[in-house]
Amino acid sequence: MTTTPSAQVIPSPRDPYARRKTTRGNYELYSWVFMRASGVLLIVLIFGHLFVNLMVGEGVHRIDFAFVGGKWTSPFWQVWDLLMLWLAMFHGTNGVRTIINDYASRDLTRGILKTLLYLAFVITVALGTLVIFTFEPCPANADPALLASICFE
Amino acid sequence: MTAVAENTRADAGTQTDDAPGAVASFEVTLKIRRYNPESEHGENVIWDEFTVQAHGTDRVLDALHKIKWEQDGSLTFRRSCAHGICGSDAMRINGRNRLACKTLLKDVNPDKPITVEPIKGLPVVKDLVVDMEPFFASYREIMPFLITSGNEPSRERIQSQADRDRFDDTTKCILCAACTSSCPVFWTDGQYFGPAAIVNAHRFIFDSRDEGAQQRLEILNDKEGVWRCRTTFNCTEACPRGIQVTKAIQEVKRAMITRAF
Amino acid sequence: MQTHQYDVVIVGAGGAGMRAALEASKDARTAVISKLYPTRSHTGAAQGGMCAALANVEEDNWEWHTFDTVKGGDYLVDQDAAEIMAKEAIDAVLDLERMGLPFNRTPEGKIDQRRFGGHTRNHGEAAVRRACYAADRTGHMILQTLYQNCVKQDVEFYNEFYVLDLLTDHDLTTEELEDGAEVNATGVVAYDLATGEIHVFQAKAIVFATGGAGKIFKTTSNAHTLTGDGMALAYRRGLPLEDMEFFQFHPTGLAGLGILLSEAARGEGGILRNGEGERFMERYAPTIKDLAPRDIVARSMANEVREGRGAGPNKDYVLLDLTHLEPAHIDAKLPDITEFARTYLGVEPYTEPVPVYPTAHYAMGGVPTNVDGEVLRDSHNVVKGLYAAGEVACVSVHGSNRLGTNSLLDINVFGKRSGRSAAAYAKTVAQHKPLPENPAERVVQQLEEMRGRPDGERVADIRKALQETMDANAQVFRTGESLNTALSDIRELQKRYKNVSVQDKGKLFNTDLLEAIELGFLLDIAEVTVLAAINRKESRGGHYREDYPQRDDANYMQHTMAYRRPTSASDVADGHIEGYFDHVEEFDGYKVVLGSKPVTQTRYEPMERKY
Repeated sequence: MTTTPSAQVIPSPRDPYARRKTTRGNYELYSWVFMRASGVLLIVLIFGHLFVNLMVGEGVHRIDFAFVGGKWTSPFWQVWDLLMLWLAMFHGTNGVRTIINDYASRDLTRGILKTLLYLAFVITVALGTLVIFTFEPCPANADPALLASICFE
Repeated sequence: MTAVAENTRADAGTQTDDAPGAVASFEVTLKIRRYNPESEHGENVIWDEFTVQAHGTDRVLDALHKIKWEQDGSLTFRRSCAHGICGSDAMRINGRNRLACKTLLKDVNPDKPITVEPIKGLPVVKDLVVDMEPFFASYREIMPFLITSGNEPSRERIQSQADRDRFDDTTKCILCAACTSSCPVFWTDGQYFGPAAIVNAHRFIFDSRDEGAQQRLEILNDKEGVWRCRTTFNCTEACPRGIQVTKAIQEVKRAMITRAF
Repeated sequence: MQTHQYDVVIVGAGGAGMRAALEASKDARTAVISKLYPTRSHTGAAQGGMCAALANVEEDNWEWHTFDTVKGGDYLVDQDAAEIMAKEAIDAVLDLERMGLPFNRTPEGKIDQRRFGGHTRNHGEAAVRRACYAADRTGHMILQTLYQNCVKQDVEFYNEFYVLDLLTDHDLTTEELEDGAEVNATGVVAYDLATGEIHVFQAKAIVFATGGAGKIFKTTSNAHTLTGDGMALAYRRGLPLEDMEFFQFHPTGLAGLGILLSEAARGEGGILRNGEGERFMERYAPTIKDLAPRDIVARSMANEVREGRGAGPNKDYVLLDLTHLEPAHIDAKLPDITEFARTYLGVEPYTEPVPVYPTAHYAMGGVPTNVDGEVLRDSHNVVKGLYAAGEVACVSVHGSNRLGTNSLLDINVFGKRSGRSAAAYAKTVAQHKPLPENPAERVVQQLEEMRGRPDGERVADIRKALQETMDANAQVFRTGESLNTALSDIRELQKRYKNVSVQDKGKLFNTDLLEAIELGFLLDIAEVTVLAAINRKESRGGHYREDYPQRDDANYMQHTMAYRRPTSASDVADGHIEGYFDHVEEFDGYKVVLGSKPVTQTRYEPMERKY
C-alpha cells in the first residue's frame, strides 16, 4: 500500500457542501403576501390621492399651503396619507431589500446597504408621521392670504 | 438571456443530402471558454476558437466531440447518452442554457462563432465541467422521495389517471441543472434552493400518494426557498424537457399560502 | 492513494446497481462507485415499459411470460432463471410503485399495461398487454425512483470514480485451480476523475452492475459511456464471458443516428412500412406482425433495405408510421420519442412517417452468474464475494435475444437478488480478505504508460475504425468471412492501440485519458464478440449467420464461455475449462479459449420459433 504515483495531490474540488444556515419561517411568506396586498391598496390610495389633488375642481392650480393644511385638518385625510406613507415605505423598503439580497453577493456589502436602507426608512417614516399629526394649519403670525379657510371660522 | 435561436434550416423537401431533413455540410466555429488550473494559463480563463466541418443533423455535442477527438484532446466536458435523457451536458450556448446534445448547430446560427461556456453559478472545475455537488445537495434537502405512513399495501397504491397527471410535468426532470444555473438569483450566492429542487419537491407535493407535503413546504418556506423566485422565467426557457418550471414554483408558493392562511 | 473498506461495494449506479444498493445497504455497509452521477446512467434512456403478469387489464400469468421469454431467446435461455424473473416481475413492479414510481393508470387507478414485442397470451396466441409503463419514460422513472430511494436510505456514492481493476486472491489466468477450489474477490481499484487519484476499495462482497458495451458499434442507442468496463475487467482477470456473440439490434433507431424509438410506438399501434408503403412485417411474422421479437423485426427491416425496398433517397431505411394515430394519443403515450424525431430529423410524426433503421442496443451476453447473481469462474464454480447484475451479467434470462422490457425487469429482479445475496454473504465473512500487495500497481502502470506516451495513435481514430468494422461485418447479418474480416481489423487496431497516446497529460478531470482506457475495454469486448460469433456456426436469435441460416440444436444448444489466458498458461490451465466447443485462438501474448456451459431446460422443449 505504498505506491503513490505522484507526490502532488490535488484537493478534491467536491468539498462537502452545506447550506450556510437554515432560515425557515413565515417571514418571507408574509412579506411576499404583503407586497402584493399593499400593492393593491397603494394603487387605490395613490390614485385616490392623485385624483383629489389634481383632477377635482381647479386641479393642480389649487394646491398651496392652504390646500394641504385644509386637508390635514380632516382625520379622514390624515389616516389616508398616513396609510399611504406607511404602506409605500414598507412596500418600497421591502422591494429594495429584495433587490439587495438578489444582487449583493457579499455579506458585508449586503449588511451595509441594508443598514442604510433601514435607516432611511426609519427617518422618513418617523418624520412623515410626525408631520401628519403635528401639522399646524393655522400658524400664528402667518400671512392670512396663505391660510386655509378653516383658520377663519 | 436574449440569445437568438435562428432557424437556418432549409426546406427539407429540396434536399439532396442522404439524411432526411439534412442540410449540406458546413464549417462552424466554436468559441469555448476554457479553464484548466493545471495548464500554462493557471487560474486564468481563456477563450479558444475551433473550426470544424459539420453536417446538417450535427449537434453542438458532435462539434465538441470533433474538437476533442481531432484537434484538442484536453477539451473537457461531460456527456453520456447524447440524446437529451441523461442531463450530463448542460452548458451555456450562445448565452442560453441548453443541452449540447439537443441543440442542432443549424439552429444556433452557425454563420457566426457559437460561444460555449460552462453553466453559471456553480464552481468551474475544468473547461465546461462544473462542480455539481451544491446542486445535488439542494435536491437532496427537499426530501425527493415518496413519504407514506401506515402499512404498505399488498398491491399497488390506487391513483386515478387525473391524480397522476397532476404532477406529470415535473416527473420529467433529468437534473441537468440548466434551470437552476440560468436563475439570476442563484448566480448571486448559490444559496437559493433553485428551480430544480423546487420542481422535484413539486413532483412529490402534488402526488396524491405522498404524505410528506407539509415537511417539504416547511423546508422550502425558507429565506432561500421559493420566496426568492422572481418569476423571470429563465428556468422555463432553459428547461430542455419543456417543464413549466416557473409555473411549478408558483404552484408550490400557492400551496404554502393556502397552508398559512 | 487512498484505501477504503466496505462490506459491499457496488460498481455502477444504473438500475441494477441502485436496486442492489437499496437491498445491500439495509444490512451491510455499502458503497456505490459510479463513473457517472447516478441519474446519468443509461437506464434512464429505456422507454417502453417493464413487463409483469399483473393481469391488470387482461388475463395473464407469469407462466406465459416465462414461455415468451424462453421462446423469444430462441431456447438458449436458462429456463429456471426465466421462471424466477417472470414470477418475481410482479413484485418488482409493485415494489417500484410503492417506492413512488409514477406509472400510467387504468380507469380504476391500477397500473396500466400495454402490448410489447414478443409478449403473448397463452403461448403465442396473440399479443398481450403486459408492459407496465410511464408514458415512454419508464426507464427514466425507474432510474429517478431508485435514486430517490437511495437518497432516502442515505446510500453512500462515489460519483465519477472509474473502476479500473478487480482484485482477487487467485490469478485465474495462470493458476491451476481444482474443481471446487475457493476463489475470493477482495476489492476493486478506482480512479477519481476529478482529482486523478487512485482509490482502493476493499470489500467482502462486490457487485458489478456496469451495464453494456454498445459502443463497440457505430450505430447504437447506447450512451458514449457504455464501454463494457465491467465485462472487460472480469475478462482480463481470467473470468469467462458468456454468450457474447448475441447482441441485440433494436429495430427502430432514428435512421443514421441510432437514437432509440421505443417498441412502444408499435405497441401503441405504429406500423413499419418499406419504401413502397407496404406493411412488410405481415410477410415475416403473420400472427403478431410488427410486434414480433426484435431480432426478427430488425432482420426483416435490414432485408427489405438489402433487397431494394428501402425508403428515402438512398433507400437505406424503412419507415415507422404513426400518422394513423390520434395526435392526442401520441402525446399521451409517446411524447419523448416524437420529440426526438422532431428535434433530430425535423420530421413531424403526426403527419409524416419516421425514418428508422436497426441500432445496436443490448448485449445479451456478459459475465456469467447464477440466479443469485454470483459470478461463475467456469461452467459451475463461483467466485466468492463477486456478484453481477444487469446488462453486464448473463444469467441467462435473455438467451440469444432479449424481449423488449425484460431488461428493466432483469435489473430489478436480479439487481435485488444480487444486492441481497451480496449483503448476506458479507455478513458471513468475519474479516476482509487481504488485498494483494500493491493492489493498484496494474492500474497505476497502465495510466502512467498511457499518459507518458508523448506521441502516437489517436484514440478517436482507432475507436472509429473499430466501430465501423463492427457495423459493417458483425451486425444484423454475419458470415464467416465478414466476421474474419472484423477479427483481423480488430487485431490490427489492438496493435495500434499499444501505441495510443493522449493529449491531455493532466490529473484533473482527464476525460481524454479515460476515453483511451475505455477504448481498451471496447477492443477486448469486440474481440470476444467476434470470436464467439465465428465459433457459433448456426443462426439463433440475435446472431444470424448467412452461411449457416438454420438453428442447430444438435451442436449449439450450449452457452459459449470465452476465457482469456496468457499463451504461456499451461494446457492444464485450459484443461479445467469445460468445453463442448473446445476452441483455442492464440494471439500476441494471450489466447482466447472457448468453452461451453449447458443450457438449463425445465418446462419447455425447443420448438421452431414462429410468430
